[in-house]
Amino acid sequence: MSRAFTENINCFNVLNNITFTATDDEPKILAWLSPLEPQVRHHDICEQRVESVGNWILETKEFRGWYNGDENGGSDHAALFCYGEPGAGKSYIWYERPSATNEEHDC
Amino acid sequence: MAVACFYYDFASREAQSPTNMLGSLLKQLLSGLGAIPVEIMQKFRDQKKAIGGRRLRLLDIVKMCLAVTSLQRTFICVDALDECVPGHRLEVLGALGQILRGSPNTRIFMTGRSYIRGVVERELGERITNVSIMSRADDIATYLRARLGKDTTP
Repeated sequence: MSRAFTENINCFNVLNNITFTATDDEPKILAWLSPLEPQVRHHDICEQRVESVGNWILETKEFRGWYNGDENGGSDHAALFCYGEPGAGKSYIWYERPSATNEEHDC
Repeated sequence: MAVACFYYDFASREAQSPTNMLGSLLKQLLSGLGAIPVEIMQKFRDQKKAIGGRRLRLLDIVKMCLAVTSLQRTFICVDALDECVPGHRLEVLGALGQILRGSPNTRIFMTGRSYIRGVVERELGERITNVSIMSRADDIATYLRARLGKDTTP
């Protein structure tokens, strides 16, 4: 069973000619897309992380440039690669926006 | 704003195929929307008729990721890219590059050991910025204080 999904998101129908729909099959479809659940590891990292450790990265010009994008809104430097040896703390880099809700962070 | 994360793990390298990895990103992005592209719903229904079912192709997943990331500012985080099988890494970087090219709203954050820097740069070209991550003395002190503070043994 599906119903037309038009409220508030009419623009969905225009973008790349992709139409969205709400469907009762959603949980099954999501499980079919991938059996992997990276949220489990994400949760562990969030639990083990010590606040403020590694925050210096957020102040680097590389991080700021990547996060904010260039002035014209282009996608130059849209990818940031943090490299380092095992145990350096790469997995624990964390950014939380000042006004962020719980969901809005990068791990 | 949408965020999708993926953590590579050498022990799970069999299961972490490019389609499962990109499919997992798409899954996270879609679950935030509460809606499914009709095309995906149709493919899901069609594949149920095949024996044992059938998964989406990488090309279809990338196409859907492009559509979804065009809707809002999207951050994709990929941890430990060095723990991915080399062949898969190339495919995944190629797919991420396609998403970046087609969707200016998207930012990708990746981590990995230094030795894969070359392949990351080659696949993502001028779009990539590198940062070297090293443990700093003040971070180590903060970390130790926090852990020792929670230590229950005297």
